Amino acid sequence: MPEDVEMNDSQPQPAAAPPPAASTLQHLKEIASVIEAGSLTKEVRRISRAVRLTVALRRRLAARDVAAFLAFALPHSSEAFARLSSLLPKEDGSEMDVDSAAPAAQVSIKHGLPEIEIYCYLLVLIFLIDNKKYDEAKACASASITRLKNLNRRTVDVLASRVYTYYSYVHELTSSLAEIRGTLLALHRMATLHRDELGQETLLNLLLRNYLHYNLYDQAEKLRSKAPRFEAHSNQQFCRYLFYLGKIRTIQLEYTDAKESLLQAARKAPTTARGFRVQCNKWAIIVRLLLGEIPERTVFMQKGMKAALAPYFELTNAVRVGDLELFRAVAEKFASTFSADRTRNLIVRLRHNVIRTGLRNISISYSRISLADIAKKLRLDSENPVADAESIVAKAIRDGAIDATIDHANGWMVSKETGDVYSTNEPQIAFNSRIAFCLNMHNEAVKALRFPPNSHKEKESAEKRRERLQQEEELAKHMAEEDDDDF
Amino acid sequence: MDPKLVEVTQLFSRFKAAFARNDFDTCVDLLSQLKVRLTKFPSLPPSFQQTPNAVEELKIARDIYEHAVVLSVKIEDQDAFERDFCQLKPYYMDTCGIIPPSPQEYPILGLNLLRLLVQNRIAEFHTELELLPVTALENPCIKHAVELEQSFMEGAYNRVLSARQAVPHETYVYFMDLLAKTVRDELAGCSEKGYDYMSIAEARQVLMFSSDKELHQYIAEEHPEWEIKDGSVFFQKAKETQPCKEIPSLQVINQTLSYARELERIV
Repeated sequence: MPEDVEMNDSQPQPAAAPPPAASTLQHLKEIASVIEAGSLTKEVRRISRAVRLTVALRRRLAARDVAAFLAFALPHSSEAFARLSSLLPKEDGSEMDVDSAAPAAQVSIKHGLPEIEIYCYLLVLIFLIDNKKYDEAKACASASITRLKNLNRRTVDVLASRVYTYYSYVHELTSSLAEIRGTLLALHRMATLHRDELGQETLLNLLLRNYLHYNLYDQAEKLRSKAPRFEAHSNQQFCRYLFYLGKIRTIQLEYTDAKESLLQAARKAPTTARGFRVQCNKWAIIVRLLLGEIPERTVFMQKGMKAALAPYFELTNAVRVGDLELFRAVAEKFASTFSADRTRNLIVRLRHNVIRTGLRNISISYSRISLADIAKKLRLDSENPVADAESIVAKAIRDGAIDATIDHANGWMVSKETGDVYSTNEPQIAFNSRIAFCLNMHNEAVKALRFPPNSHKEKESAEKRRERLQQEEELAKHMAEEDDDDF
Repeated sequence: MDPKLVEVTQLFSRFKAAFARNDFDTCVDLLSQLKVRLTKFPSLPPSFQQTPNAVEELKIARDIYEHAVVLSVKIEDQDAFERDFCQLKPYYMDTCGIIPPSPQEYPILGLNLLRLLVQNRIAEFHTELELLPVTALENPCIKHAVELEQSFMEGAYNRVLSARQAVPHETYVYFMDLLAKTVRDELAGCSEKGYDYMSIAEARQVLMFSSDKELHQYIAEEHPEWEIKDGSVFFQKAKETQPCKEIPSLQVINQTLSYARELERIV
């Protein structure tokens, strides 16, 4: 599933791309000045913007642009310059950049900012990965990680987290993920000590991904449960975290929690991250089936996912009908798909859900039915179907799947009347949880609002200020009066 | 040859001799000596140092721990089994490419799966299962455990019990016997919910007791809340959700107040 590493970051956004008139190099220089501004004013937000702008440029990067940018951004005597230049593929340098001479918007930046240096590493790394030069990319990534270990600046964190992601990604592409686990753990510890929350988030996800790549669910869960938790900084990282969490919980049979995580991950993921959402949906479908729910038809008909979810659609159908034969046929038919998705073992677990659903259908339609008939309807093929049916029914009752009692002497199952749910406190509780959700959502939205700092204060003089305050006071009084009138 | 390795090899052959004689006390004694000796090998997990003797050392260490696991089954010590298995596991997972896979690998992994099933640690069972490659699922030892788990989850307990006749390895019998007890507990739990009452003879049959006395003893020990009268066992059902007659006023007031507070913030 390489898609989900990429998620939306890799999607070039044509709308955001600047007009073609400006050259790539010019853009890079502008980005560099954004980073510089961010570094000097200590505004992390600007650096995130620079990373976003770079992603938009990604498709158009050429070796000579990157080389020219390095020459522009890094002091020629620096170690980083020498190392990064040597990693870039050599092209005939005869065609020196014409645009750099263009006086239109000449940007110059201060040399020696660590942010710019790390940005250069990141740029070269992205470039090398896109050009499939994995060995060079690995060298570049390791060099940048070594450099990052000596830096402790909050403004570097954003760039660093991107470097970590590509570091892990290039190792995944060359299937050597196991080698970097130690480094990632060390980096995670460092990020924790530096209180670099974005870095912690990113590294935790990379580690989880690393473990899950080798199906090491046990280690993944141990790390996850012990790593420090805080409110998510980046939506993408949070989505990934939820997805991994959902997977771990599914394996460990905590289906209710797993469903919640997986559905939330699928909902929160940006629409461009199609591959990721397909993965989330596949897992969510299985978990819901394991919980005994039947996902709605609309889940399978989502735009762009229909083909990918088709095997799961047939599987759902088999579970819905409660037909063991059909289920077996579907599982066999799509065995290779399920193996590739690594959901095969989960599908095996579904078998008893098929029986459950069949049993539930029987219990709803009959108020009393003999155990022999149940065995026949469920197509239990064993030497002693009645005894099997009896214990299966007993277990289903205990697990709360059906509401019935067994009459052992007569060998039949008696279904109970379903009670009226509105006579209990259930609706009240459900209603409360929904209200709480909406209120919480509103509060989160308010918290997320951001205003440019001091933008309204700078311009006003002391006199104007007094005037404004007076106006506000009047307005407040006016409103208070109106309020009184209302009552 | 390294003198330490020679020493371990000799000790291990004594251990194997005692093992063959079924002299388990000597075995346990020798095993603890062996384990101490093993700590001196630098090439073993977790350090994995590249020494000239690495292959030999890893092989003998794996062999020792495999025997330790089997020994723990023979002396019926589940805790020792868990400890030894944990020590053995890195040899299966992380030594690929250094030493050839052991022929004992799947029987022992299957044994571990069975143990997790017996202890009703289903989540760990599945976590372990995920670690196995697809081809391993075809192995009779693994397949046996996987099928048992399926029948167990379905509630087809008869199938679980009849699987005892078809064990793929002699060491499995111990856990299969334990599994029978787990199954009995499960059956008791299910019966409690599934039936209102049952005659003593039927209960004896369902719970697989050979005499009424055993049944009475079991009920007294495990389920003292069950009532025996008129030749039948009456299961005390857990209280069902009563339709609520009272409005939980305090809770509702609290909730409403909190809504009011939140709304005030919004407006």
